[in-house]
Amino acid sequence: MSAPGRPTRESFERQREGSAVSAPRTIRARGLVGGKASGPALVAREPVSFLGDVDIRSGEIVGDLSSVKGKRMGGCVLVFPGSMGSAGAWRFLYQQFVHGTHPAALIAVQLPDPSVAQGAMMAGIPVVCEPDEDVLSRIVDGEMLTVDGAAGTITVGGH
Amino acid sequence: MKLFPRDEEMLAGRHGEPLRKAMDALVTLGRAYGAEDMVDIGYAHIHAGMAMYKDDVKLMEDLADMGARVAVPSSANIANADLVNWRQTGAPEPLVRLQQRAAGAHRRMGSACTFTCTPYWAGHWPTWNMHMVSIESTVTIFCNSVLGARSNRDGFFAVYAAMAGRYPRFGYHLDSSRRGTHLVRVETTPQSVSDFSALGFEIGRSLGGGVAVFDGFARRPTLDQLDALGAALGTSGGISMFIVPGVTPPYATVGDAFSHGVPKEAIVADAAAIRAAYERFGEGEGVFDLVHIGCPHASFEEMKTYAGWLDGKRVSDGVELWITTSRSVRNMATEAGYVAVLERAGARVISDTCPMSCHFARTASPDPALGVQPPALRGIVVDSAKQAKYVRDMVRCPALLTSTENAVESAISGRFVPRFPA
Repeated sequence: MSAPGRPTRESFERQREGSAVSAPRTIRARGLVGGKASGPALVAREPVSFLGDVDIRSGEIVGDLSSVKGKRMGGCVLVFPGSMGSAGAWRFLYQQFVHGTHPAALIAVQLPDPSVAQGAMMAGIPVVCEPDEDVLSRIVDGEMLTVDGAAGTITVGGH
Repeated sequence: MKLFPRDEEMLAGRHGEPLRKAMDALVTLGRAYGAEDMVDIGYAHIHAGMAMYKDDVKLMEDLADMGARVAVPSSANIANADLVNWRQTGAPEPLVRLQQRAAGAHRRMGSACTFTCTPYWAGHWPTWNMHMVSIESTVTIFCNSVLGARSNRDGFFAVYAAMAGRYPRFGYHLDSSRRGTHLVRVETTPQSVSDFSALGFEIGRSLGGGVAVFDGFARRPTLDQLDALGAALGTSGGISMFIVPGVTPPYATVGDAFSHGVPKEAIVADAAAIRAAYERFGEGEGVFDLVHIGCPHASFEEMKTYAGWLDGKRVSDGVELWITTSRSVRNMATEAGYVAVLERAGARVISDTCPMSCHFARTASPDPALGVQPPALRGIVVDSAKQAKYVRDMVRCPALLTSTENAVESAISGRFVPRFPA
């Protein structure tokens, strides 16, 4: 879907200018929620509670997450250690979808709460978890990622 | 995933469209989490339908319209407005009218209009080994850790489980998930419900997840203290269950709580940890417009305590004191005379919602037509670390965390009384 505030293909390309182009590589992960989507990486170092951590209407991260505070989630592939906090996570993810400020896909290091998966299922956001490599240190903000939730893969680069 | 004949029938649409939709969602969830089969549930704590979120009440109305009915005892989670005393909260009327529509949907579906985060104080009391679902993290952790029931931290799909009476067997429904992962050595004596909240918040932050086993409480914590501990653990960490040996069924000893022996290393829960939580939410200049107690929604015992402190006192001019509790507990407290005492003192007894859940929230997404304008608040004094975090991040004003008694004293004096003197 096309939504306000969501980065366009052109803005992704602009963001990538100047970065070295390398061959795409694939990381294996556990597929949790099906679907395939791409976007620039947004790497959070702290566990995420969608309720409390996100402003739905802007997609801005407003909670106590120093690594990503003030950044906007819309259209990004959010890479994060795992979920915490309120079981209202589903509602925030789904509401972000209603308002077009949702992440394109989620990559969680640890298996997230069922509430997160349920919100992603309602919003059609692909989710993978338990990746084979240390994505928190090896993926950098803005790197183009493709998540395939059914296959359980993360493709880095290659756009 | 193995499906029983009736699950298959539901999935094939032989019991109607609502149950087909419900079973389809539950099967998708079960496959995602690698569930082997489904279990019967005995209780469901489900979504209220929230007027502060665009088209969210409609999610529940759509289910009721298509003929969905709950198959097991079900309670509704907290809502975004007091459905009765809303004028005392300053909520805009269109928001309240929308919120009241959610109650209509629940009545049609057969779920109880509890609109609370503590349905157990309202009589929904699942017991040992009962599989259940919950959309509220506080309910999940209380039912797992105090009552011995089995619950994950669910989202909207809790209502699908309520309709089908079924849930995929994974997570905290499995014995293997319900054993200790971390030992917490308690080296302090928390003095109050709010100290348990503060301690839970710091331990949850340190652990992040897993099942904490608390060893060393000087005496058995009260139900209100266990409730506060769990609510905070579930807020600052992704924690669904804790174990207090001798309290949490079926674990009598610390040794019982671990499947592979008691860990050599322990996390220490000491006075410094309690103090750290109060300091985390002590920013600002101590200026406040509102004092709030009753997070999670107060029990009857807590209402009695509040009435004892406020009897014959008067809330200071220019300050509001909100006491939040479920409508069921409010009714009991009214019959006992406590609500009259509290209201005589100038307190407002609010049900169905709380500061972070009402029209104060700035990170929510109400339909612009409802005319929601969050008031400009300079600070809220709270007695709960859970409320403190969400006031700071969602209401986006300073949260001042102190003990319940000092919060009441702050309301009476009009000056912030911290937990620890400066």
